[in-house]
Amino acid sequence: MEQQFRVVGNSVPRSCSKAKVTGEIKFAADIKLDNSLVLKTKRSDQPHALIRSINVEKALAVEGVRSVFTARDIPGKNLLGIINKDQPLLAEDRVRSLADAVALVVADTEEAAERGAAAVEVEYQELEAVFDPVEALKEGAVQVHEKGNLLSCRKVVKGDVEAAFTSAYSVIEKEYTTSSIEHNYIEPDAGAGYVDENGCLVIYASTQNPHYDHKEVVGLLGVADDEVRIIQATTGGGFGSKLDLNVQGFIGLALYHLKCPVRYVYSREEAYLATAKRHPFVIRVKTATDKDGRFIALQMRAVCNTGAYGSYGMAVASRSAVHATGPYAIENVDVDVKCVYTNQTFCGAMRGFGAPQMALAHESQMDLHAQALGLDPLAIRRINGLRAGQTSATGQLLTASVGFQDCLDAVAPYYEDAKENWLSAPTDPFKRRGIGIGGMWYGIGNTGVQNPSTARVEMSPEGKVTVFTGCADIGQGSTTILAQITAEVLGLGHDDITMVVGDTGCTTNAGATSASRQTYISGNAVKDGAEKLANVLLTEAVDRLRAPKNSLHFVDGHVAVSIAPEIRVSVAKLAKRIHDKGGTLSWQGFFDPETVPLDPETGEGVPYATYAYACHMAQVEVDVLTGEVDVKRIVAAHDVGHALHPGNVVGQICGGVAMGVGFALMEEFEPGKTESMKDYHVPTVSDVPEVVPIIIESPEPSGPFGAKGVGEPALIPTAPAIINGISSALNKRIYDLPANLERVIEASIQAGHFRVQE
Amino acid sequence: MDKESVRIEFTVNNKEVALDIPADATALHVLREMLSLTGTKEGCGIGECGACTIVVDGKAVNSCLMLGAQLDGRMVTTVEGLATESGLHPLQEKFMEGHAVQCGFCTPGLLMSSHALLEEKENPTRAEIEKAIAGNICRCTGYQQVITSIETAVSERLDGENR
Repeated sequence: MEQQFRVVGNSVPRSCSKAKVTGEIKFAADIKLDNSLVLKTKRSDQPHALIRSINVEKALAVEGVRSVFTARDIPGKNLLGIINKDQPLLAEDRVRSLADAVALVVADTEEAAERGAAAVEVEYQELEAVFDPVEALKEGAVQVHEKGNLLSCRKVVKGDVEAAFTSAYSVIEKEYTTSSIEHNYIEPDAGAGYVDENGCLVIYASTQNPHYDHKEVVGLLGVADDEVRIIQATTGGGFGSKLDLNVQGFIGLALYHLKCPVRYVYSREEAYLATAKRHPFVIRVKTATDKDGRFIALQMRAVCNTGAYGSYGMAVASRSAVHATGPYAIENVDVDVKCVYTNQTFCGAMRGFGAPQMALAHESQMDLHAQALGLDPLAIRRINGLRAGQTSATGQLLTASVGFQDCLDAVAPYYEDAKENWLSAPTDPFKRRGIGIGGMWYGIGNTGVQNPSTARVEMSPEGKVTVFTGCADIGQGSTTILAQITAEVLGLGHDDITMVVGDTGCTTNAGATSASRQTYISGNAVKDGAEKLANVLLTEAVDRLRAPKNSLHFVDGHVAVSIAPEIRVSVAKLAKRIHDKGGTLSWQGFFDPETVPLDPETGEGVPYATYAYACHMAQVEVDVLTGEVDVKRIVAAHDVGHALHPGNVVGQICGGVAMGVGFALMEEFEPGKTESMKDYHVPTVSDVPEVVPIIIESPEPSGPFGAKGVGEPALIPTAPAIINGISSALNKRIYDLPANLERVIEASIQAGHFRVQE
Repeated sequence: MDKESVRIEFTVNNKEVALDIPADATALHVLREMLSLTGTKEGCGIGECGACTIVVDGKAVNSCLMLGAQLDGRMVTTVEGLATESGLHPLQEKFMEGHAVQCGFCTPGLLMSSHALLEEKENPTRAEIEKAIAGNICRCTGYQQVITSIETAVSERLDGENR
């Protein structure tokens, strides 16, 4: 019998949505602290140079400027980074990119701060710069860091690819490239801070990871843990870029020295210039099938450009290598992904962590082989798609919740209907139609490393429940889902739960809001805490109701006997009794997914405890004269385990598709050229297709009520589905993203479509 | 050098205000920094994202591109002025119910663009809705739940009138 749930699985109203529609909610830039000073950084105007001298005298002479800080004013360790520490808050002896901050100006007003920053004089000795990651790996290349330009290399090796290539029926080798992408969350990075009565530096920040921010600011300032408190302000999107320290370190430094309120709100231009981007990839891939279309080998050599600093680069390289096969069973695999320093703007985490780049390659190869063998694109994916009981390239046995085939099945009727009724329907003579399929898998949580979450679930003697979690809700809705999980366990309504979120002064570490991990990992941590609390309540109810513990359950704020629900006692009464006896009503929850670190040479291991799966179908219409691609519809089937909040899941799918359309067709961040939103095109409502979201529920046994995650998966299959659709429309494939007007016209010309059909 | 200041008088959210503002201040600056109406957001400062949309004399405008001085004599509505004493505006309710709000930073701008449309047209088509919000960038929702929420507000208003 299917388990019945009362709260999870319902699209309850989201936390804070009322304050968001009335405009009452305070984002970091809306926080007004009395007499607050304004911060601004002087950034490098050199991609690579030694700093000869920094002269701040003229800046200090600007009216309204209070102080100017340089690296010398940093009392602790001037080196940041969540995985490897290589990025100074303020440059010391050299700059490695245009984004590097050299000095921090504190002033009375924005204008004075800007004039002050402009007046800081930096004398540079220019160095040769390297921007191409392939060039950066060559012998004799300019070294961006002393330890060399190769930051990391992740290998995944299984079987014998060379032998498989020899015996293969079909072998196809191609190169793919993807562009650098700006996250373009609509809220530019911002923060504000003050020193409280105990001397603690309190920093409100727009962030995806308050506990990491705390650790970095403490290290930067060389102070004790309790001397810094980070409070996550309402955060206007992040998509990965608010995982790095953006304004937090600058605010901390100013507070440390000046002890008076400060604020720092990035302009859009500064957010473009100074924050992490998506890693551009160069991917060379060779795949082989047997005569039936079964993939027997995949060999890949990929290079990702992390720019001047590592940020999340090592994780991106590692995840991309693990995801190189896509959601397919391939016996012989040889993958090598290198993460390389250059003098570009640094790249970090962005929705998908390398998996979207891989998906372009594996899904294009899938279609190329289908074409070579005369197979249908959906059929070849069915042949190769992972099923429970199969083993991944890292040797992980996939035991449960492998819903990829279900996703293919769900898309199939739409696919057949579109082929039959839409593809050949009359259209403008200069327009050609195509249908494309894209598949993906995505490991939930960090790759082969511990990534625990903790939470505290507390009941007052009056029976009121509060959850304390460090889990940053950046708009995706985790706070609502964590409240639902707690309510489900304790037989309460979701709005009976008070949520205290993202405050290092009173919540414990939940890890980053990244890797689609919060529903699964923090959801489990919260569930663990709630179950511990439930256990003492049930134990107390045994005493009160004189019934065996396993006969009791929670319902509507009571503990009741399952077969005789009229025999019950309120949770509030139980709480009071436990409290009066000196019992504990505050419980810490914990969860850390079971993973096995990857072998450095073969990549063997268990990188993730579970995976999400998806399949998108794109219907595209290509104007062969202008190169314009009109994506008419995306059918998006996602295996999420169990949709705890279907409204949120649909929101993630539709939002992911929009971002995927941008990745496929228009977005490209060019350091030094892309300065503001006038230079960078994010999909508007006119660019976004109709989306048909389909939720597939293949429950994950280790997930909270069967849930996995969906935030990043939503984006991953969209671009390859669109690219496959364009290829099918034009009979010409595009290998480089974005497939912008120029590239589509070029493909159209090469395919001979630049003439009127008779 | 003292900046020139300008005296302006206008109506914002049904309240009359009079104040001296720097001549070069934007309408966005006047609302956010001088009147503490921080519901209106700055997303780009150059009229590309629509987060700062307000309604001036019935038209949706980017307040970052408008001078504060141009507010003189106008009727202005910001997101703070949508709800009334009797409750939330139907658009606000439908945005909440339809999960059209994720991070919420673009929400005030989307609400004001759609509010201007609904004041102008009784029964806008889907194409008209899309055109009305084409200047509002949302990076979270992909717009689908936003459009549905606006359509629901329209259809419920029509149902109410026909009842």
